[in-house]
Amino acid sequence: MTALVLGFGLLLTGCAQSAPATEQSTTSATSTTAQQGTQAQALTTSDTWAKAAETGMSAAFGKLHNSADYPVELHQVTDAQGDEIQLHEMAGSGQDMSMKQIEGDLVIAPGAEVELAPGGNHLMFMDLKEPLVAAQTITLNLEFSDGSSTTVDFPIRNFDGAKEKYDEHAGH
Amino acid sequence: MSTQGTSIPRRLLLGSTAAAAAGGLLTGFGAGTLRSAQATTQIPASELGYRSFYGQYQSGIIDAQQEHAVFIGWDMRWREGSKDQSKKQQVQALLQMISDDAARLMSGRGVLADTEPEMAQPPSELTLTVGLGQSLLDVIGQGTVGSMPAFANDELEKQYQQSDLLIQFCSQDPTVLHHAVRAVSKNLRQLTTQRFVQTGFMRPMPGADTFRNLFGQVDGVNNPADQAREQAVFGEGGWIANGTTLALRRFEMDLDRWDEVDVTGRDFALGRRQSDGSPLSGTSVNDPVDLTAENELGLPSIAANAHVALAKPSHGGETIHRRGYNFDDGQHAGLLFASFQSDPRSSFIPVQHRLAAADALNTWLKPVGSALYAILPGVDEGGYLGQQLFS
Ligand code: HEM
Ligand SMILES: [Cu+2]
Repeated sequence: MTALVLGFGLLLTGCAQSAPATEQSTTSATSTTAQQGTQAQALTTSDTWAKAAETGMSAAFGKLHNSADYPVELHQVTDAQGDEIQLHEMAGSGQDMSMKQIEGDLVIAPGAEVELAPGGNHLMFMDLKEPLVAAQTITLNLEFSDGSSTTVDFPIRNFDGAKEKYDEHAGH
Repeated sequence: MSTQGTSIPRRLLLGSTAAAAAGGLLTGFGAGTLRSAQATTQIPASELGYRSFYGQYQSGIIDAQQEHAVFIGWDMRWREGSKDQSKKQQVQALLQMISDDAARLMSGRGVLADTEPEMAQPPSELTLTVGLGQSLLDVIGQGTVGSMPAFANDELEKQYQQSDLLIQFCSQDPTVLHHAVRAVSKNLRQLTTQRFVQTGFMRPMPGADTFRNLFGQVDGVNNPADQAREQAVFGEGGWIANGTTLALRRFEMDLDRWDEVDVTGRDFALGRRQSDGSPLSGTSVNDPVDLTAENELGLPSIAANAHVALAKPSHGGETIHRRGYNFDDGQHAGLLFASFQSDPRSSFIPVQHRLAAADALNTWLKPVGSALYAILPGVDEGGYLGQQLFS
């Protein structure tokens, strides 16, 4: 399952036409809080998106890349509307998968990339305070174990998948 | 969330090594890059079929016509209680999303949230060309394209009439095209309702910009080429610099009654020969349409009400660039007429009025769809379609 999820990240190809700036890879360079040598500084992201939803739960995905020679440890995620956002992983196998909170931080090894994708690790909105409306963008604040932080734009898209079961009691 | 350092947190460590170990599916992130780099060095980009999303103009307008097309019209579904300013923002967000989708799909990548990104490869000259109806220009508060007037003989069906938004999808590969259409349509769900999906096909004749339409005629001969084409489409009189307009009309053909017409009658109605497309005023396809030429009897070679006689621009400003497609929806077959022109009021509209009033081909044609769109200017890298309208 993990391999499948990561495989999604390899669907790059051919001609290098990048996406418009509004939805381009957000790098920590745009962050005001990022400082040289911080974890926020080391993070680059691409293909970030969040699943549209009016209420309740939703999730956010994308590729997180660590361009530094030290680990990046994603500690906490927040947004301007004050949603509770957890770091989730999937447990179980086949049709019988459920998600639970990751224990500790989400660690990205030096030079490595972590893919957050439906059916795999993701950022979980536990109970939306405002709808996530398709075509709009939500900005998330990513905080790291060294206290640095950066903001990343997540364009909102319709998505029928990512209906994973949530195991309330796991991982707490 | 457990704090860092309490007991031994089971950290989630994923990286290229972990990924490689996780299954034979892949061999690390470098592999994908290598594969694509090889592909591009060995095969020229044109053969891989990439048309640029970025540029002065949108693709899919004056570039070579692809064999398959889908024109989709959508109407906006505003969020409940939307005020004017919020509607404008909804259109802006929609155009940003469509720009992102188009840039990804045309470069052979899936859109965000794509469930079948593999199907985007190779894009096979995929283009997405985006236009807005006057209704959306009004919401934005800038730009005038106007609406399509009524023409004599129109028998319009509601579903084929003006929509708020239009995307012309074209590709050489109908499977790639299907994926692109579906990916974009999924993204537009809830934001829009679909008014029409009009699918078309054509096959260029060897070495030419022409194709056989479903009457059997050679179509596209006297389309403007090169600079004349660019001038007709993007020249002065346009609604915005580097933008243009699209006239989209759906003509059903009465092929059963066309069957009853012998070839002389057919050629007479068009003013050109079905056999090789040559004008009745000449002998080969590229001979000029000469309305003063006479036959042995001293009568005009091309009748005054022949299609080409009436369609021929009466002056340069009437020139349009036709980029239409054949269609067969299982019930009806015909021509999905599509033309680009900088100012429809001085070109497409007067020509269509002339044809609607007297064209000999009208006997076998039924216009059921009609709409006019403002085609947005091209986009620079980092920008989005329609950006000029929001500044
Ligand atoms: C189902 C409807 C139509 C059919 C089957 C049709 C077919 C053709 C054919 C076979 C030609 C001759 C080859 C060529 O020069 O391309 C032609 C020419 C042309 N048609 Fe049409 N056409 C249709 C509708 C229209 C409409 C609605 C317009 C514009 C309002 C139009 C404008 C023209 C023009 C401008 C030419 C070139 C005339 C010249 O300068 O020689 N056609 N059409
Ligand atoms: Cu979750």
